[in-house]
Amino acid sequence: MKQAMELANSPVIWVFAALVVVIVIFQAIVFIRIASQAAPAVGMNKKEVGAAVRAGAISALGPSFAIIVVAISLITLIGDPVTLMRIGIVGSAPIETVGASLGSQAVGVDLGSPKFNEIAFTNAVWVMCLGGMGWLLFVALFTKSLDKIQTKVARKGNNVTLLKAVSTAAMIGAFSFLGGSEMIKGVTESIVLIAAFLVMPIIIMLSKKLNASWLREWSLGLVILVGLSVGYLLS
Amino acid sequence: MTISKEMNTATQQVSYTETTTQAIGFETFHTKSHFWGRLTIWSVILLTISLPLYLSFGLGYHPGWSAILTGFSAYAAIVAVVWFIEPISYYPVLGVSGTYLAFLTGNIGSMCLPSASIAQSVVGAEPGTKKGEITATLAISAASIVNTTMLLFVIVGGSYFLTLLPESLTSTFRFVLPAIFGGVIAQFAMQKPMWGVIGIAFGLFVNLGPVPRSLQTFLCILGTVIVCLLLDKMKKTKETA
Repeated sequence: MKQAMELANSPVIWVFAALVVVIVIFQAIVFIRIASQAAPAVGMNKKEVGAAVRAGAISALGPSFAIIVVAISLITLIGDPVTLMRIGIVGSAPIETVGASLGSQAVGVDLGSPKFNEIAFTNAVWVMCLGGMGWLLFVALFTKSLDKIQTKVARKGNNVTLLKAVSTAAMIGAFSFLGGSEMIKGVTESIVLIAAFLVMPIIIMLSKKLNASWLREWSLGLVILVGLSVGYLLS
Repeated sequence: MTISKEMNTATQQVSYTETTTQAIGFETFHTKSHFWGRLTIWSVILLTISLPLYLSFGLGYHPGWSAILTGFSAYAAIVAVVWFIEPISYYPVLGVSGTYLAFLTGNIGSMCLPSASIAQSVVGAEPGTKKGEITATLAISAASIVNTTMLLFVIVGGSYFLTLLPESLTSTFRFVLPAIFGGVIAQFAMQKPMWGVIGIAFGLFVNLGPVPRSLQTFLCILGTVIVCLLLDKMKKTKETA
């Protein structure tokens, strides 16, 4: 276990993790740049560009914190740099834990057990990396085809309203699925979700009434705070 | 081959825009998104495959191909369907650039989508429109930077900060997700309350019903879209009649 963790935290693996982090941040900067360049073409002014970036950054604070708390559990199992690499890209902590333990079990060792050695670690890394590659390959190969299909559909005039409706309904469907998977975890989770569901419209109406768009930018942060307080009081 | 061709056109476009004006059209934005999106994702694919290769053959800890295959096929049995279903189902919401961003940085449902939808509501852009896609791109990029930087600081800081927080407080972090999802569903349900109800009904159904885990996301999104569109159509025919 000790030797495996020494390997897991060795400088060479840090180099790989650092390169991945650099690419993720580089990609985000490039996309902010080209999106701001394209903003005037879709009728967005500089103020709106700034507001969108701010809203995205603020809204990521709460989720990031929750992601990190879960990610910490992975550090003791697979070391700092691999955790950074796996959570920084594609993965989420629960699914990576599954990958790591399946990889370790394939050489007959349980993840986190005293017998966990360099070979078990290497196999865990293999399984996590190959497993996570599926998403990346699909996105790298087929996003262009999805774009072509969408462009073809959008070419007909009345299809644009259809696309809008499909996107909105798809968004509701995606969040309802995620929300449903939280609600079945317990009564407290359900109450927190309903509380957030009730507070959000109030914040949006207030921001409209007071003409305070900053309130809207902070809306998700405020909703999370309310949800946490409700959950804290009930548990 | 195609990549090098795209690289040429993209570099031409970059030099073109830099010598003339800063503004670019939406079409150019998509061309550039494909170029940079693919370049960054292929680089990460190369990096993620070279790490285990290095451990196996550079350092000599190779566990043997059969062990790798055993672990991988067990893992693939759980996640393989999701490789295809997730990018396709989230595409209408994320668009071209959002797809490249969100699948590289991860945490799509818990971070990328909520950030994008809040930003769209702030600037008053609808999802699925051009303005909606630009807004989502800006928001997801910012979210990705915040998330990665925070993760980096916490891990480099030896996660010391988190050990300072009392257990009662860290255990409440499990309520972050239900709060996010409840809030964002409500944001959409304000415009179309009925759609929200349909969505939550499907969400509970696929989570509680006998639906295989790998198909849940897809079926929930597909079901919600179909029922909402049918409902809209029925309303319209009623109005015209």
